[in-house]
Amino acid sequence: MDATLLTQYVLAGLVIGAIYCLMAVGITFIYSVMKMINWAMGEFYMIGGYAQYLLLTDWLGPARWYLALPLAILGVGVLGMVVERVLLQPMFAGRLERLDEYATIMTISLTVLFRNLAVVVFGPYQFSPRDYAPPVQLGPLPINGSRFVAFLGAVVLLGLFQWVVRRTWFGLALRSVAQNRVGALCAGISLPRIDMLAFGIGVALAGAAGALLAPVFLVYPQSGALSTVKGFEIIVIGGLGSLPGSVVGGLLLGLVESLGSVLISPSFRDVYGFGLLLVILAFRPTGLWGERAREA
Amino acid sequence: MQRSIVAAMVAILIAGGTGAGIGWGATPGPLVLGVLTPLSPPGDPAAGQLIVRGAQLGEQYINTVMGGVFGPKTSCALPATPVTVAVEDDSGTPEKSVAGFRRLVTEEHAVGVFGAFHSSAMLATAPLADELGVPYISTQASAADITGKHFQAVFRTHPVDPDRAAAWLGFIQAQGWHKVAMLAENTDYGIGLAEATKTLIAQKKLNMTLDAVIFDRTSADLTPQLLKFKAEKPDIVLNVGVGTPAYLIIKQAHDIGLFPQTPMLASYDFPVRPEEYWKNLGPTGTSLTFISYFHPRMALSPLGKWAAVEYAKRFHSTAVYSNLNSFGDAMILAEAMNQACSRDPRRIIAQLERGRFDTWIGDGATFPRGTGVYWHQWSPPLVILQYTKQDETYDQAPILYPPALKTGTFEAAH
Repeated sequence: MDATLLTQYVLAGLVIGAIYCLMAVGITFIYSVMKMINWAMGEFYMIGGYAQYLLLTDWLGPARWYLALPLAILGVGVLGMVVERVLLQPMFAGRLERLDEYATIMTISLTVLFRNLAVVVFGPYQFSPRDYAPPVQLGPLPINGSRFVAFLGAVVLLGLFQWVVRRTWFGLALRSVAQNRVGALCAGISLPRIDMLAFGIGVALAGAAGALLAPVFLVYPQSGALSTVKGFEIIVIGGLGSLPGSVVGGLLLGLVESLGSVLISPSFRDVYGFGLLLVILAFRPTGLWGERAREA
Repeated sequence: MQRSIVAAMVAILIAGGTGAGIGWGATPGPLVLGVLTPLSPPGDPAAGQLIVRGAQLGEQYINTVMGGVFGPKTSCALPATPVTVAVEDDSGTPEKSVAGFRRLVTEEHAVGVFGAFHSSAMLATAPLADELGVPYISTQASAADITGKHFQAVFRTHPVDPDRAAAWLGFIQAQGWHKVAMLAENTDYGIGLAEATKTLIAQKKLNMTLDAVIFDRTSADLTPQLLKFKAEKPDIVLNVGVGTPAYLIIKQAHDIGLFPQTPMLASYDFPVRPEEYWKNLGPTGTSLTFISYFHPRMALSPLGKWAAVEYAKRFHSTAVYSNLNSFGDAMILAEAMNQACSRDPRRIIAQLERGRFDTWIGDGATFPRGTGVYWHQWSPPLVILQYTKQDETYDQAPILYPPALKTGTFEAAH
């Protein structure tokens, strides 16, 4: 195979992989802090897409995409905090014994609610905001401007997220809650507030992926379904609860899908990701960066 | 005594297996025409919406102009009966289509069903139509197997795969192109069209090569396949996606500089919906060629003219093929009931096989037991159009093919 073509496939895979990472990092972050799986992540991705579409086409116009993007992310984050405060926080208030089951039922219900709300508000149609950036040449790969912005946006957001988690007092509080909720409580950290913020930030990352990808892929009520599957695939590959694992898992998945679909067959694009997952689980049952845990 | 009870039970069970059990014979009030069509993704909901509108127009014509089924213009000794349309969403998926068909027949007592758009959904449902003995007309599902499998209750008023393959191969030949790339979704529609095109090239010994790549319909990123095509430098790319994938192929081919430098031909008429097409693609959509089943230069039948005028009045937009063909299917079912003087679906099926029915175009549709894919098949004409400037509507687009209707020549992108 031509080396230029192979480089193009690799670059295309890495670009899409970086965007997958956002989704996976959001899921794994919420899990790390709150010890619950948010099954409605795809719907927050979808809401981010719709928000970006409305901002770009009706409210701000394509020229102000740099304003639309943070507004869409902020909007999804605030919605996430409201959802956490109203619907999820009661389960941490000591009245419920089966937290996992409650969280699963609640977030799956949210999936149904948000999808149907999208159908009611926007109809079942597909939408796509216009491209807001000129095409870019990334080495040998000609790339759509909006997709390049999505790639850069994903890298910047992941970097920013890593900086907040590793270098700030707020990040320290988040990490302490992730390590030991009781210990963090004893140290004077307000768990309800941290949970609310963590959930808001986690879903904002999914919303960011949706908003960044709105001009690249189409926006429709079920558009989040596939990204949820990819997100969970990545966190299992990378190791549940591991942020570096999510990043590496996302890039690996993007690469495997890109190369598999041209070197083998595009009919089985999704199978390659699951194949990778099975191989990794066979050798490292906790994922690439996962650690064995014991619960009392 | 015991024997008569057993006989009565057997009679009830037999009735349960026929129309009487489902309730077509006994149901008072309007006759129900079932519309089973995609109204949500992953199907093509915009197409489904247009099909529903066409069916509503059919209901209007039957109830007002015809005075109902068995109305005064027939020789049937049955009371004139109005019709009503019951709609089910199949989402373009086999499982929802099967459930929707069953619901339309057993709960709504539909005497006939139409509106199918996605081939996989219709193919999965066809055996159920046979089992229940209720006529099921494909409004816009084109996979060869739908009629090729010779289902007793299944009919089609839409071009079949070989018709479509013949049209685009004729167009490609006329352009003097030889190297054809096809990106087809992994559905019965996509795979069927790839097979039909390959077969026709071989049968006619055309001087053409076809690189058909089948992709997973749920994939959102088709860039790697399109990069491969770009490296191969084909003369034309055939876009065989339906709904979301059809748009993604255009957008992503444009992103990597494959389209419009290399011409692209879309396999069906989604670009005729300007409010969706131009809104989603903007200038990217210019230069696309696409198959359409209707253009205002085609002569409509009196029924078609009525439908076009009433559609504009009722929905404030120009009627497109999905509207007209769905309207035509409602009319065909009503005419079959009139000709058979019966509301029994099995008699309607028998009448569909032997009658001739007015529809929106041409001099009447027939559904003989033809050979191969032409079993119960009637095909309307099809044309190939090209958008040459942004925000053009399909009635302004030049017809490139067939030569008899040609109004323009292919314009390469500058």
